[in-house]
Amino acid sequence: MVDNAVLEKMIKEVMQAMATQGSKPAAAGGKMTRADYPLSETKADQIKTPTGKALSDITLDNILAGNVTADDVKIAPETLEYQAQIAESVGRDAFARNLRRAAELIAVPDDRILEIYNALRPYRSTKAELLAIADELEHKYGCKMNSKHVREAADVYERRGRLKE
Amino acid sequence: MKSKRFEVLSNKPVNKDGFVKEWPEVGLIAMNSPYDPKPSIKIVNGLVTELDGKCREDFDMIDQFIADYAIDLANAEKVMAMDSKQIAKMCVDINVPRAELVKLTTAMTPAKVVEVIGEMNVLEMMMTLTKMRARKTPSNQCHVTNLRDNPVQIAADAAEAALRGFDEQETTVGIVRYAPFNALSLLVGAQVGRPGILTQCAVEEATELILGMRGFTAYAETVSVYGTEQVFIDGDDTPWSKAFLASAYASRGLKMRYTSGTGSEVLMGNAEKRSMLYLEARCIYITKGAGVQGLQNGSISCIGVPGAVPSGIRAVLGENCITTMLDLEVASGNDQTFSHSDMRRTARTLMQMIPGTDFIFSGYSATPNYDNMFAGSNFDAEDFDDYNVLQRDLKVDGGLKPVREEEVVKVRNKAAKVIQGVFKALDLPEITEAEVEAATYAHGSKDMPDRNVVEDLKAAEAMMARGVTGVDIVKAVKKAGYDDIAESLLGMMKLRVSGDHLHTSAIIDSNFHVISAVNDTNDYMGPGTGYQMSEERWNEVKSIPNAIDASDFE
Repeated sequence: MVDNAVLEKMIKEVMQAMATQGSKPAAAGGKMTRADYPLSETKADQIKTPTGKALSDITLDNILAGNVTADDVKIAPETLEYQAQIAESVGRDAFARNLRRAAELIAVPDDRILEIYNALRPYRSTKAELLAIADELEHKYGCKMNSKHVREAADVYERRGRLKE
Repeated sequence: MKSKRFEVLSNKPVNKDGFVKEWPEVGLIAMNSPYDPKPSIKIVNGLVTELDGKCREDFDMIDQFIADYAIDLANAEKVMAMDSKQIAKMCVDINVPRAELVKLTTAMTPAKVVEVIGEMNVLEMMMTLTKMRARKTPSNQCHVTNLRDNPVQIAADAAEAALRGFDEQETTVGIVRYAPFNALSLLVGAQVGRPGILTQCAVEEATELILGMRGFTAYAETVSVYGTEQVFIDGDDTPWSKAFLASAYASRGLKMRYTSGTGSEVLMGNAEKRSMLYLEARCIYITKGAGVQGLQNGSISCIGVPGAVPSGIRAVLGENCITTMLDLEVASGNDQTFSHSDMRRTARTLMQMIPGTDFIFSGYSATPNYDNMFAGSNFDAEDFDDYNVLQRDLKVDGGLKPVREEEVVKVRNKAAKVIQGVFKALDLPEITEAEVEAATYAHGSKDMPDRNVVEDLKAAEAMMARGVTGVDIVKAVKKAGYDDIAESLLGMMKLRVSGDHLHTSAIIDSNFHVISAVNDTNDYMGPGTGYQMSEERWNEVKSIPNAIDASDFE
C-alpha cells in the first residue's frame, strides 16, 4: 500500500522545487536556468562560435564574402555547458551529462569521432585497443568523461565476451 | 452449405490481416507475461545491487547500463515501495501535476513502470499521454521519399508537406548512394514550404552522422536501441557505442532521438521469454540513461507483431506513455503500414491523435504509399483530407491544416525551381524545365520523367568527395537567386551554434523561435488547462475548402 505520509512529503518537496526553480535569469557568474532559454534570444551576445565569432556575425553577406565558413557554424563547449545548466534547471540530469560529454567531443575531428564510434561496436576492438582510445581521448583531447565511458565499455565488453578475439 | 454472411465477412479487409495467439515462451505476448520479472531494486552505497529480481553479478549489458544511468536512485526505494495501482491512478488524476509525477516515474525500474501501465485501459493511457507528454503543443512528422529517389519530387513534396503543417520531415533512400541528394532536396524543399522545418535522412548510423556533420540534415532519429543484449549485438551496437553516438551528435549541434519499438526482439528471435512491452521499457530506459532527449517508438517497423497479438495496440500506446513518463520526447509511431482495414488503422492512430503527442506520427507518408520507402505508413498523402476532417470533427489538433490547390501548386513549383537552381550552382546533373513542371503537378513518382541514375549517383559521390557543406548549400541557393530561402537555410545553420533545439521536444517556428519542453512545458491539469487550440488555429482547422457556406443559398 502507498505510504501517504511519504507521498505527501515528496509532493511538497517537488512543489517547493517548482516554485524556486527557473524564476530568475542567471546572475553574473551564476548558472543558466530555464529563464535564460532560448539562449539565441536571451543571451545572443554571449554565444560565440568555437572560432570566436558572434551569432550576429553569421550573415549571408559574411558567408558570400568568405568571412564565415563551415568551421564557424559550429557549437562551442561553453554553449553546450550553458545548455547543460538549463537542462539541469528543469531536472534533466542525464541529458545534461550527455551535453557535457558532447562539449568534450567538440575537440575531436569528425573522422576520428566516426572511427571511435565504430571501434565501440561489438567485436571490433580488443581491450587494449579500447583502453588506448580512452587514453587518447583523455590526454590528446582532454575528454575526461568520454575517456571514462570508453574504459567502462572495455570492462563491460570483457565481462560479456563482446571484445574482438 | 456455406454461410453467405461468413463469405462476405471473410472478404473484408480486416481478414487479410494476420493474427496470432499469445505464446509467452518466445515473447509473443504484448504485455503482462507470466515470465516478466517482478519489480525490485536494492541499492548499497549508491550502487544498484539488484534490479527487477536480478543480482548485479548476473547483469547483462543492458541491466548494468539501466542500473547505473537511467534511474533516479534518490527516490527509487520510496517509489518502488508504492502500490503500482496507486501510481496508475495518479497518472490519470488531473489533480496530480506532471512535474510531481515525473519525480516518481523517473525513479522506478522497467518492471515497475510496466506494472503501472498494466493497470490501465487505453482510455487511461490516453489520459496519461495527454498529461505526461513533454511539450505542451502537439506536433507531427512526415516521410518524404519516392521509389526512384527523384530529387525534384522530394523538394516539391517537402515544400507541400511543410505547408500542410509537418514540423519535422524524414527521408530515406531506395538506392543508398542517393542519400546526399535526398538529404539536400529535403533540406531545401522543406524551407520553401515554411522556414524552420527540421529535416533528417535515415540511413546507416555512421553515414547518417556524416550527413549531419556536413550540414545536410538538422537532426537524426534512426539510432536504434533494443531490449535484449543479444538483439542489441545483432543490431551491431551496444548501449555504450550508442551513447557515444548521442554525444557525437550533440557535439556538432545536431538534435537527435533514438528509435525502438515493441516486437523487435521477438522478430529478431531473442526475446528471452519477456513480453514486448517489458523489453521496450528497457529500450526507453537505455535512451534515458544515455542522456538522449527523446525517442521514436510505437513499434515502428515491427508493428505487424504487436498488431497480431491480443492487446497489442494497447501495448503500443503503453510504450508511448512510458516514454513520456521518463520525461522524454516521443515521436509516437503510426508509422509503418500494419492493417488492410481502414477502421483498424484509424482506431490505432486515434490513440495518439486524440491525446496529442510531441509528434503524433513519426512518419505520416507525405507521398502516396507506393512511394514510401519506409515500407509504407499508416496514413499517406491520399488520407490528407480524411485526416483534416477528423481534426475538424473532433476539434483535435493533429498538427495539419487544410490547404488550397493553388497554394500547393505554387510552393511545389517554387521548391522545384529552387532545387533546379541549387543543382546548377553546385554543378550537379541538370534538372530540366520538364521535371520542374512535372514535380509541380505530380502526385507520385509515376508522374515524374526518368532521370539518369548513373550520372546522379556519380555526381552525389563527387559532391561529398569535394567536401560540400551546408554553407555551400546556402551560397548555392543565393546564387540561384532565392534570397529568402538562403536566409531560412542560414537560420537553420545558426541553430547549431546556439544549440537551443537540442532540448527535449524541440521544434522551430517560422521565425526560428525554438519551442520545446523547456519553454512550452505541458501543464495539463484537466479541462481548460494544457494545450488549447487558439481561435486562429481552430479557424485554420475548420476551414476545409469543400464546406458549404449557408449564406451562399440566400
